[in-house]
Amino acid sequence: MTDKEVVIDCRNVVKTYGSFTALNDVSTSIHRGEVVCVVGPSGSGKSTLLRTCNGLETIQGGTIEVLGQHMPGTRKELETIRRRAGMVFQSFNLFDHMSIRENLVLAPITTLGLDRSTADQRAQDSLDRVGIGNQIDKYPNQLSGGQQQRVAIARALMMQPEVMLFDEPTSALDPEMVGEVLDVMRDLAAQGMTMAVVTHEMGFAREVGDRILFMADGQILVDQPPDTFFTIPTDERLTTFLSKVL
Amino acid sequence: MNFDFNVLTIHYPAVLDGLLVTLRICLFSLLFGVIDAVFLCLGKLSGRGAGYRVSVFVVDFFRTIPEVVLIFWIYSCLPLLFGARLSAEISGILALSLLVAANVAEIMRAGVQSTNPGQLEAAMSLGIPAHTIWLRIVIPPALQRMSPAFVNFLTELIKATSLLSTIGVAEMVYQANVLGNRTFAYVEFLTLVAAIYFALIFPLSLFVRRAEARLVAQKCR
Repeated sequence: MTDKEVVIDCRNVVKTYGSFTALNDVSTSIHRGEVVCVVGPSGSGKSTLLRTCNGLETIQGGTIEVLGQHMPGTRKELETIRRRAGMVFQSFNLFDHMSIRENLVLAPITTLGLDRSTADQRAQDSLDRVGIGNQIDKYPNQLSGGQQQRVAIARALMMQPEVMLFDEPTSALDPEMVGEVLDVMRDLAAQGMTMAVVTHEMGFAREVGDRILFMADGQILVDQPPDTFFTIPTDERLTTFLSKVL
Repeated sequence: MNFDFNVLTIHYPAVLDGLLVTLRICLFSLLFGVIDAVFLCLGKLSGRGAGYRVSVFVVDFFRTIPEVVLIFWIYSCLPLLFGARLSAEISGILALSLLVAANVAEIMRAGVQSTNPGQLEAAMSLGIPAHTIWLRIVIPPALQRMSPAFVNFLTELIKATSLLSTIGVAEMVYQANVLGNRTFAYVEFLTLVAAIYFALIFPLSLFVRRAEARLVAQKCR
């Protein structure tokens, strides 16, 4: 993997909220085509780390480069990077007042300058890709949670991103809908998408992840491929964590 | 006591003149007030600096003083300060514009601030520029959410115009009083005026009720 291009590079990242240190000297990188899953107890800084990579959080120390661009950069540069790095949130965050179609075409039309028919076609393709092509004219509140999250993934795919950031994409879902969202993510990974996934789904991390990061107290304590991550736990806190979630 | 419909059939055009004045005052104070409200709202949303402090003061000031005081003050005190007397109707429109500005600014602010922060983050994460986020993500749902409060305030505004009769603006209540004085048919004219206010305001109240129910239903879905 290391010979591939670095897509996300975090060096000594520090993030504080007042006196609380959310990220404490975090360094890691993600290469093109890699799927990196981030696990750990809540409050460990997983989501914060992911959000800093999209400029949704400012950092107080260290550097982050995404697709060769120093973050956050100017407003224009940040917007450009965000168009190339898709993000999926725990709470879907669809635009409730817009149809699924409008949710999907808004960004490509207003930022990439796509014409309406190209954007419509791409919307249909994106929805087909996540298996809900027949829902294009519905509104978000007419869909189940799993469907809404798949729309959110399709919306991110509309920008044809080079990397996708998933922030606990299945944590807000009813158990029976987790599978359909993970299936979509599995397909994306199989198609070679570079992905950073904050998740509590150990099965998914084990099966799809190329590397798994274990975070606690704002630090990355373990960074291992799945086969060693689960079988040869090197860290006491990871052992405790795994005994609770597995 | 006999209710004399006859006197109404003779004098109703004067009441309609008053209705016209009422509606005209509402229209102009809304027009000027809403424009001011946009600036006050932006000032309050800015959260700091001189614009913020001025907006907070203006909104709090004109929301707290009673309408009657505001109306008399503008009609009577402005001439003392500036040496020029505004007509009663202009004074009334000015006073009510300030009332509209302060109240609608708060309604707008509440509407904008109830935007789901997650939707803002989603829009930002797609690289959508700020002005497009405002136009497409923030404002449309905010307008929908603020519509009940806005229409509710509109009903207050319509009622507040009746206070302008005290400075001699020839709106509906003033006309009813004048006609009452002339014909001694106070009850008839005030009843007519009450009926007209009801006809104006009740549909708006119904709208508010339905719009609120719709918003609640949306949230629950």
